[in-house]
Amino acid sequence: MKRWTQINNMPIRYKLISHFLLISILPIFCLALLISWTVERVMEEQVNDNTLQLIDKVNESFEFYISNLQSYTYMIANNEDVEQFLGGNENNPSALSDNKYDIQRYLRNFTTVSPEVAGIMVVNNEGDYVSNELYAPSIMDLTEASWYQEAIENNGIFKIIGRPDGRRLNSIVDYTNDDVVTVVRAVIDPFTEQVHGVVLIDLKLRVIAETVKDVTLGKSGYLMVLDDDGQNIYQPNQPIVSQIPFKWISEQQSGDFSKTIKGEKIQFIYQRSPFANWVTVGVFPAEETIFGLREINFYLVMFIFIIMFFGIPVSYFLSHSISKPIVQLVSFMKKVEGGDFKVRYKEKRFDEIGLLGRSFNTMLTKLNDLMHLTERQERQKRDAEFRSLQANINPHFLYNTLDTIQWMARKQKADDVAEVVESLAKLFRIGLSKGRDVISLSEEIDHIESYLKIQKTRYREKLNYEIKVDESIKNKAILKFILQPIIENAIYHGIKERRGVGHINIEANPLNQHILIQISDDGKGMTPQQLSDMREALEESVNLTENPEETRNKKGYGMLNVQARIQLTHGSNYGMTIDSYENVGTTVKILLPNMNKSDEEREK
Amino acid sequence: MKKLLFAYIVLIGLFVLYVYQYQTSETTNNEWSEHELRGTIDETYVMVTFQTGIDYWKRPLKGFEDAAEALNVSVEYRGATQYDVNEEITVLEQVIAKNPSGIAVSTMDPEALNPVINKAVDSGIPVVMFDADAPNSKAYAFLGTNNHYAGVTAAHKMAELLNESGKVGVVTHPNQLNHQERTQGFRETIENEYPDMTVVDVKDGRGDQMISKEVSEELMREYPDIQGIFASEANGGVGVGKAVLDQQKKGDLHIISFDTDKGTLDMIDEGVISATLAQGTLEMGYWSLQFLFHLQHNLAGDLEGETNLPRYVDTGITVVTKDDVSDYYPLD
Repeated sequence: MKRWTQINNMPIRYKLISHFLLISILPIFCLALLISWTVERVMEEQVNDNTLQLIDKVNESFEFYISNLQSYTYMIANNEDVEQFLGGNENNPSALSDNKYDIQRYLRNFTTVSPEVAGIMVVNNEGDYVSNELYAPSIMDLTEASWYQEAIENNGIFKIIGRPDGRRLNSIVDYTNDDVVTVVRAVIDPFTEQVHGVVLIDLKLRVIAETVKDVTLGKSGYLMVLDDDGQNIYQPNQPIVSQIPFKWISEQQSGDFSKTIKGEKIQFIYQRSPFANWVTVGVFPAEETIFGLREINFYLVMFIFIIMFFGIPVSYFLSHSISKPIVQLVSFMKKVEGGDFKVRYKEKRFDEIGLLGRSFNTMLTKLNDLMHLTERQERQKRDAEFRSLQANINPHFLYNTLDTIQWMARKQKADDVAEVVESLAKLFRIGLSKGRDVISLSEEIDHIESYLKIQKTRYREKLNYEIKVDESIKNKAILKFILQPIIENAIYHGIKERRGVGHINIEANPLNQHILIQISDDGKGMTPQQLSDMREALEESVNLTENPEETRNKKGYGMLNVQARIQLTHGSNYGMTIDSYENVGTTVKILLPNMNKSDEEREK
Repeated sequence: MKKLLFAYIVLIGLFVLYVYQYQTSETTNNEWSEHELRGTIDETYVMVTFQTGIDYWKRPLKGFEDAAEALNVSVEYRGATQYDVNEEITVLEQVIAKNPSGIAVSTMDPEALNPVINKAVDSGIPVVMFDADAPNSKAYAFLGTNNHYAGVTAAHKMAELLNESGKVGVVTHPNQLNHQERTQGFRETIENEYPDMTVVDVKDGRGDQMISKEVSEELMREYPDIQGIFASEANGGVGVGKAVLDQQKKGDLHIISFDTDKGTLDMIDEGVISATLAQGTLEMGYWSLQFLFHLQHNLAGDLEGETNLPRYVDTGITVVTKDDVSDYYPLD
């Protein structure tokens, strides 16, 4: 498990590279090994087969030569002159000489048609001989010679004496014993079984050597020929093994084996020729068995190299193309984490990573907008606070003074003055409200009541008002000063403009989970144009109030300010809606969340 | 990128190393044989003669084979079985058809073989003549005995044997250039240098023992006081020897023969033949093949123009008498 987790911890790039390399190069390696191995095996088999076939062909030509020689021995033995000579009945030297001359002429025919014959000798049982090419030292009795004895032992059957060492025969043409292979056959009377003599033929070893040399096995392999005693009949000048122990070669007709000689593995393949009973052995270093394999291996290695040449960069770039954008995205994320929202994924690609990048960009844009919004809200809040704070300094003094005036008015029994002053004082007190943004609904109602009282002193009978607040929501918390600007509008733009007595109705009721405050007047109302303008302005209230300096003195700023504050605080689901009919009146509805004071505290 | 470069350098290094190793092991094995004077066993050089069975050719053939052994090439021996120029032409045509690597030819007629020899040379097969030349052919070289000089040598030896006086006869092979030259050399020397000696007759022994015997008997009948016979070839020599033995004239008639076949050597040993002229027959064969090999392998210069090889090589002549005949029997 630990290993796997380690792999999981590897950078994606390394994972991809190793994956590609594994997929491209490992199978090639396996394939190459497999091919090499198979080819070696198949070729080895083929080489062995081919070698055996070659040996077979060589053996066939031996058979051909040897069987020719056998035929010659019969032809020679059956010749009349030879029969006469072998009979040994001729005592007349001149007749004997003529007889020998005839035989020599006859024997010459064989060398005429068969250049591979190095010499022919006919020996009778008295040791006298006839030959064109061979002669024996005069001291020697040829019937004692080992080959003569061997021929007799073989009882008229053709016998091959591989290398006739020490046979004490000389060739007029300088063929040494090493240059020839000797075959002998005893001529035996079929009735008396008496040995008449022996026919000996020398075959030039060169003929065998040429046949054998014609076969090359690999680079340094060669064929060699052993006779039935394991003596070398032919082997090349620089043999790998000078003498093959005969016990290595089993009695089987053919076979193969390998031996380690001088630290090199040597392969031997042999076959017996059934007639001559020679063993032809193919000898070659096992490494050379398959000469072509080296070339095949070379091409395979080349192939692997080429695959690697291509495979490594391809896997490198492929993995790079996948991992690089991921790494880039990661670094972008890090930057964003560090607070830099300006980074953007810029590459134009349409795969999953491009998609991811674009999503990343969109996310950043949204995040950015949101951040801007929050920032603005904060600023506006602070702005408002600052302003109200500034506004609150003077009211303190004003409030105290008003208190003094109220008391003075009561002393002098000017009760109406005292009442107005008291209302004004209350108005300011609530207005201060210890700098809080949020006050209870009842406090807000007190505030507007004070305000209305003051206004009533001014407008007398022209202004009537009525306030109805549901008991259950009196203690709910609302933003402060949201009603006063609306009522001020109702008075100045509604009631004041109308003729006769005007009414303002203020109602606050719970609505579902919200609070609905409704302020209606029966004042002048708005023209549809004005109404739609107003509604539009309310929609955009947040933006329109952003720069207070510009809009403060505009008409309806108070309304927009209220709307903006509500929406910034509670979201765009809340706020006010306005309805108005010209000469009938205007109704403003404010929807607020139903918040407890404690909720408010917690929200802070 | 650095890692990739590194991997690449390692890869290329290994590759170069491998190729280098492959190349060197390839060449080292071949190196020694390339600088050696060695052919392949596929190359076949052919020796073409006439009367292929006679012992005389066995020594040049042995020389030919020895050279083949030394140069690691194959040889073949072909020729007319009879003394028949048309047969030899046919055989030579057959040999050319097999496109051998080179042909060594001994001709029985200095002109008859020329078209065939030229044909072989024109088709790019090197041809050298040995023993008997065809001087007007395109053959590159001739290796053989200086026959005229051989005749001269024989004449001097004869004069020495006969104490520079007496009648001598010749048994020869008048159709063959080498025999003509021998006879001519012999005759001219006797006539010019030994006034007391005369060449009474030149007989045609046709290279056959029996015919030579007959013509020499004829010679002895016609010139009973004949004291010496020069046989210009081996069979003739043995034939004359047999005639002398038959006539019981051993010791009365000096025979100078040619070549060192067994019969001749035996007769020298027995004292029937007084002397024989040994040719460098083995050398003819040996150097014929060497010449052919050099021509075939372009070691002898321009085959179209003058080659570096000598046109004529004298393979030498030695007089063999009873005293040194044992040297010509090969050692045991």
